[in-house]
Amino acid sequence: MKNKILVYGAGAIGRGYIPWIFPSDRYELSFVENNSELRGLLQKQKEFTTYRTKSGQYVKLICEFKDCFDLGEEDPTDYDGIITAVGARQVYALIDSLSNVDCPIVLFENDSKIPLELSELTGKSNIYFGVPDVITSNTAPAEMLEQDPLSIVTEDGVCFVEDGAVDLGGDISYVSQEELSKQWTAKLYLHNTPHCIAAYLGAMHGKTYLHESMARDSIYSIVEGAMNEMSRTLIQLFDLDKEFVEWYSKKELARFSNVLLYDPVLRVAREPFRKLGLHDRLIGAAQLSLSVGVMPNNLTLGIMSAFLYDEEHDEDFHIKILMNSLEKEKFLKLIINVNPHEALYKLLVKKWDESIDTLKGI
Amino acid sequence: MILNRLEIAINAAVSAGDLLMDHYGKVYGIKNKESLRDVVSEIDELSESKVMSILQESDPGCTVLTEEKGLIGPDSDSRWIVDALDGTVNYIHNIPFFCVSISYWVDNRPSIGAIYNPYSGDIYYAEKGVGCFVNQKRLHLLDVELGNNLTAMAFSGKAYNPSMRSTEFGIFGQLNDLSQGCLRTGSAAMNLSYLSHGKFSLVMGKANKLWDVAAGLLIAEEAGADVKFNMTDKQKHLVDYIAATPSSKKKIYTDIDMSYFDL
Repeated sequence: MKNKILVYGAGAIGRGYIPWIFPSDRYELSFVENNSELRGLLQKQKEFTTYRTKSGQYVKLICEFKDCFDLGEEDPTDYDGIITAVGARQVYALIDSLSNVDCPIVLFENDSKIPLELSELTGKSNIYFGVPDVITSNTAPAEMLEQDPLSIVTEDGVCFVEDGAVDLGGDISYVSQEELSKQWTAKLYLHNTPHCIAAYLGAMHGKTYLHESMARDSIYSIVEGAMNEMSRTLIQLFDLDKEFVEWYSKKELARFSNVLLYDPVLRVAREPFRKLGLHDRLIGAAQLSLSVGVMPNNLTLGIMSAFLYDEEHDEDFHIKILMNSLEKEKFLKLIINVNPHEALYKLLVKKWDESIDTLKGI
Repeated sequence: MILNRLEIAINAAVSAGDLLMDHYGKVYGIKNKESLRDVVSEIDELSESKVMSILQESDPGCTVLTEEKGLIGPDSDSRWIVDALDGTVNYIHNIPFFCVSISYWVDNRPSIGAIYNPYSGDIYYAEKGVGCFVNQKRLHLLDVELGNNLTAMAFSGKAYNPSMRSTEFGIFGQLNDLSQGCLRTGSAAMNLSYLSHGKFSLVMGKANKLWDVAAGLLIAEEAGADVKFNMTDKQKHLVDYIAATPSSKKKIYTDIDMSYFDL
């Protein structure tokens, strides 16, 4: 008998990566998706295609699933495991749904604070953090989409989850909270930080996909520079092995440049205010680097490129309104919440105009 | 750089708010207007001048209705409406509950609103059909019931129909008992901002000045509040209004005689 897994979110991770770690010979997947167009297509097709890139080639998997529900139609108590991959802001809409569930609930939400917050809000202790260390596009090349409009492309990644959820099984590394924290730190600052910088720089220059952005030498150079700044920071802060960090960094740059992934700039750059959180991948990263005496020159350019993100359909489209309305000091203090007494504030103010000129010229 | 109207409103509100903070805690010449609590200080006029200079530079030839100087510019149904210091009494007594309120109205309806409380650093802003925000955060009002939250009421000026004052106080008392408390904060603009932020479940006012509520009505509506208002005088400078969560509004219309309000 197969284990039944309910997946909230049939986007990049949900559709692209989950079927690879919960194979169909052992697991039966169902989805909850609130995008009516996507849900309609899933309900109509009852299957979709996910491609994994490996050794420069695609490996194809057709995922047949049991159900696809609208939010509220599902009965989450009817499953052996719950996965969420809906987005860090959207996951709070699931509080009611998760409050009566006793099976392991794993959150793939790119924010280590959320499992604790949801545990408090729901009163449940079966909520765990997961780190899928993988880049998954939310689309695919045109020829794949012609064959199956639900096609999606993912990397051959690895997945770490807190060991409390071990009953869930699957192709997952279950690790201690301490080990997961180390993996998350590495992912947040060596993957997420340069990844989103590549996206913001690409957006500034009209690129559609990450690999197109990374193909531009001037962008690659800033992304690599930010990666180096974070590598030096993490080695000093967490006593990480230098060889491991260098290997990880090199691997990451290759991942961002993967021409098979078709990872959209819009996906990676979305919600800049979340990424500019005080402890998140941009401001948080620069604060860490300053704390150990590493000058965040490239990180600063990355932060500025996020400030300048101009996408009218993004949830955080109003970043442009605020950048246009406010003087830089006010923007940093009131909107980004950086304290004027901090070194990062002074650095950003000092380099503001120079950074904008540099970014325009890349 | 050419700013759009929402950007102009935010820029002007924050610039004037900074000026208010520069002078906060200092004594200024205070003059009474209609009543003891209807006062104007030198800082009101300074702040208004600051807003005016930004509006006239960013939107040349515009029409502006201000609290202190009245209508400025050509007669037009598209106009800025400015209260450069809402909560003057609080301000002069060093109570940090005041703001700058700037809005843009077209055909007697608000299309842009920005309210800045310089003490807290909160910028509330909204555009019709686009949404409501405080600083970087989008605001979505939850339907919190009247009994589970605070409410606020802004009173009419003392000179406005004195014979009905007891009715007004009676409604205030009823609202106080139906909720976790009804506040009279001294800033109608901040009341509406706090409603949009979920800190109040219901806000209402009788014969408030249009410039006090012009931005806040839109901010509350765009956050998801049920908003009803009516300009009650010939000049269209006095406003009766109620803005609330849907369940709070339903409750108040069931439990309180609202005929005092011209809605």
